[in-house]
Amino acid sequence: MKIKILWALLALVIVGLIAVPWITSYFYIFIFTEILILGLFAASFNLIFGYTGMLSFGHAAFFGIGSYAMALVLIHLEWPFVVGLLLSMGVSALLALIIGFFCVRLNEVYFAMLTLAFGMMVFAIAYQWRSVTNGSDGLAGFSLGSFGLGLDLTLANPAVYYHVVLAIVVIASAVLYLVCRSSFGMILRAIRQNPERVSFAGLNVRTYRLVAFVIAGSFAGLAGGLMAPFLRVASPELLHWSMSAEPILMAILGGTGYFLGPFVGSAVFVLLETWITSFTESWMLVLGIILALMVIFFRKGLLGTVLDWWMEIKK
Amino acid sequence: MSGIGSALLNSLDIGLLLFIIAVGLNIVFGVLNIINFAHGALYMLGAYLAFTLINIVGMPFWAALLLAPLGVAILAVLIDRFLLRHIYSRDIADSLLLTFALLLIINESVRMIWGSGIQVVQPPQLLAGSMDIMGSSIPTYSLFVIVMGLALLAGLWFLFNRTRIGRIMRAAALDRDMAEVLCINTRLVVTGVFAFGAWLAAVGGVIAAPMRALDPGMGDKIIIESFIVVVIGGLGSFPGALLGAIILGLIHGVGGRYFPEVNMLLPFLGMALVLLFKPNGIMGKGAAA
Amino acid sequence: MMKTRAKKILVALSAAAAMGAVSTSYAEEPIRIGGIYILSGSAATYGEFAKKGINLAVDEINASGGILGRQVEMVYEDSQGKASVAIQAARKLVYSEDVDALVGLDSSGVAQGMVPTMPELQKPLIITHAATPDVTGKLCNAFTYRISVNVAQNMRAAALVAEKLDATNWTTIGPDYAFGHQSWEFFGNYLEELEPDVNLMSETNFPRFGAEDFTPFIDRVMDSDADGVLISVWGGDLVNFVRQANNRGFFEKDLELLFTVGGATEVLSALGDEMPESVHLSTRYWFDGYDNDINARFVKAYVDAYDGPPSYNAEGAYAAIYAYKKAMETVGTADGLAVAKALSGMSIEAPNGTVTFRKGDHQAMVGPNWGISGPMHPEYGIRTLTDLQIFNGEDVARSIEETGCKL
Repeated sequence: MKIKILWALLALVIVGLIAVPWITSYFYIFIFTEILILGLFAASFNLIFGYTGMLSFGHAAFFGIGSYAMALVLIHLEWPFVVGLLLSMGVSALLALIIGFFCVRLNEVYFAMLTLAFGMMVFAIAYQWRSVTNGSDGLAGFSLGSFGLGLDLTLANPAVYYHVVLAIVVIASAVLYLVCRSSFGMILRAIRQNPERVSFAGLNVRTYRLVAFVIAGSFAGLAGGLMAPFLRVASPELLHWSMSAEPILMAILGGTGYFLGPFVGSAVFVLLETWITSFTESWMLVLGIILALMVIFFRKGLLGTVLDWWMEIKK
Repeated sequence: MSGIGSALLNSLDIGLLLFIIAVGLNIVFGVLNIINFAHGALYMLGAYLAFTLINIVGMPFWAALLLAPLGVAILAVLIDRFLLRHIYSRDIADSLLLTFALLLIINESVRMIWGSGIQVVQPPQLLAGSMDIMGSSIPTYSLFVIVMGLALLAGLWFLFNRTRIGRIMRAAALDRDMAEVLCINTRLVVTGVFAFGAWLAAVGGVIAAPMRALDPGMGDKIIIESFIVVVIGGLGSFPGALLGAIILGLIHGVGGRYFPEVNMLLPFLGMALVLLFKPNGIMGKGAAA
Repeated sequence: MMKTRAKKILVALSAAAAMGAVSTSYAEEPIRIGGIYILSGSAATYGEFAKKGINLAVDEINASGGILGRQVEMVYEDSQGKASVAIQAARKLVYSEDVDALVGLDSSGVAQGMVPTMPELQKPLIITHAATPDVTGKLCNAFTYRISVNVAQNMRAAALVAEKLDATNWTTIGPDYAFGHQSWEFFGNYLEELEPDVNLMSETNFPRFGAEDFTPFIDRVMDSDADGVLISVWGGDLVNFVRQANNRGFFEKDLELLFTVGGATEVLSALGDEMPESVHLSTRYWFDGYDNDINARFVKAYVDAYDGPPSYNAEGAYAAIYAYKKAMETVGTADGLAVAKALSGMSIEAPNGTVTFRKGDHQAMVGPNWGISGPMHPEYGIRTLTDLQIFNGEDVARSIEETGCKL
């Protein structure tokens, strides 16, 4: 019964999200687009952090490369949007395979440091390879062509783009959720808790980690592919470690224990940032304080704390 | 001789400065198993405190070298007592996150207190000017940095291997419960080591101040450098930190001059290679992979 | 009894309605201008300078009745030096904060990313700092203007300065990103036009942006055959560079040195007398270089308020606000499209003289200031500039064709 209530709430939220362009001011269309895209990015990160127990500090490499792939497609090839997205996913999956192959053999802080190193290497390449990526200035000035799939959508209209993003994020999240709920996902959670025991059971821990890493990377690339047209620019800062920190923060804020935690975290982060920067330039200070309090007292995150409480009461 | 010689000496100079700055990070990890993301911010705080003491209060450099790190160490004790103690027993991700939060807080606080402008600290009179070494003119202050770095290395070796405090720290690092049983106050050791790491970061800041323009972004620049040093040399090994620092200094000096197209990539490539082939670092004996 | 009471109520209500009508009259709504600058991190000082200049302009304008009788309000957002942040900030300012116009942009990367989105936002943007030539070149559009000098203009002037010097072997030390590379590229092209037998050395030096140590590059130049160096390092990096160069004896060598952003006040005040004499320094605006009433008033007001002379960033931002005042008053409205059109070809009297936004590319026809560092200023603790050349905007600007702008 309680679970059914939660599903009903989720359905309500989705209906609400669909209605956003009609019930909120124009600016919030942009805010919610950003929340959805970053939420997907954070959810992809949580596959490897919350579920598999690996703290990656280079997840932005996949997000960023998705953005660059989309930007390059729109500038040089002018293919339809959907094709660009598929390409973003493919490229980032490939990159995740390469980077993941090296990283999953390490544990804990070594894994974190190696992902950081690889992430920054990708950043350095984007920053210095001026002929392809336009270096520090990034790629801009591309226009959104057709959507593809025979659908005629004016992607340049923010409300239309928002709905496209919403649809894609919902579908992608559903797929990701199924992955997490499957036996594969269960094994990942077992790996987080006790990798030795899993390997004693005859499973190759590294392979599972790598597969999780690649899946996470490809969904991050999808999010990146959605981001580039939204911002109209693909620039190196999307690859920097400070961008890798964002899904980490969002997952913590929302709660790493539940699938939707990162989405809640994304919403909280983006909304807080938007509101607080209206009052003060010291947004980083406020963010730091909130993060410190969350890590110390609400380690399960907002959604985590609420849902755990909800599951406890009304036994 | 002049070209390569001065390039090497310069790399040594950059390397030893990096060593002084990064060794505190290494010690905190080795003993406490905490990666202090705020290490760079503490370094910056040391530099800015020195700036205030020297330029505004008018103290001599040596007084600032004594007082500024103490101030930062006291702040570190407070941070430990009120914030870090909550997460010591948790896994390492939490320490990364909490210290990252501290980084944000300290960074912004520095900008709010000291403003956004570029500040300059002069080296003390004694160390101003240059000396002639093997045909090149080397700033006296650079030699001071080299000497201080080596002195610090010697001092740390002595501390850890020959003194009771050092033995206590090593014991607490190896097995905290056992140390407790042996009546070692591990809580105090933990606070002490964290404060010591902060003190070292601030010493790095004060020593770096006459060599680097101060701005509110200097902490961010140094934290990744420190990570690279510590990874290459070996998490938990401080002679390794020295080696890591010199290697990074060489990468910057030589790489910057001879491989400009990839000079941004090289330090991270070095970091990745070490992690792949010798995850404990070139000399490390840190937490097992 | 009731009738009187009803009458009283009626009177009270109509009085209230009348007052309400007066207080919601359109004329009292302020004109809002959004400012997007770097307000955090290493380069936060530039955003701070811009705010100082803007606040002076806004205070002056409000004290004398505002624009179109309406008070001016500023809303600032931090770009953090990131295009992704700046674009969202611009959307916030336009859609949520309802600003009528935008000023801003320190970083060229940010400008490159943001300028193409201006036509969607339908509000004018006056760039007061970012120097990438593309925003008044191939990325130009009806809403984007620039009041400050761009890299192409500054490097044309640099080449004109270099031509008169004795050096023939030129190299560069510049930060390893677009600005450093573009500066060298433009300088080289212009210098070759003027002096065909100049030798632009293939050995160039691009330390990474934010590098703390320039000694290897300093040594390398000193060891080479170069007798002229174009130095486009800026900000905190330039401060480090000069101090390290002093240590290496760089300034004792017989080199012609052109510092493309060396005349910036934040660099000069940080360095004090460590900035050597007799090197060529450039800035987009030198406070002591303009002998007109507006400049005298501006400099005095700035010094009184902030204790030091105004930087080029402050002056550009100050002038931009006045540009909006003139444009809005010319068309009698703050409507984005109308104001954007009004700015085209418009001239205003700014501290750095008469500034005109060229119709073909919306770039202000201003020239940079190049001078030679001289004795210390008696009051401000910075070097003075002697032999100051204020280049004529028309002389250093590219032709419209060269910019690639198609308006």
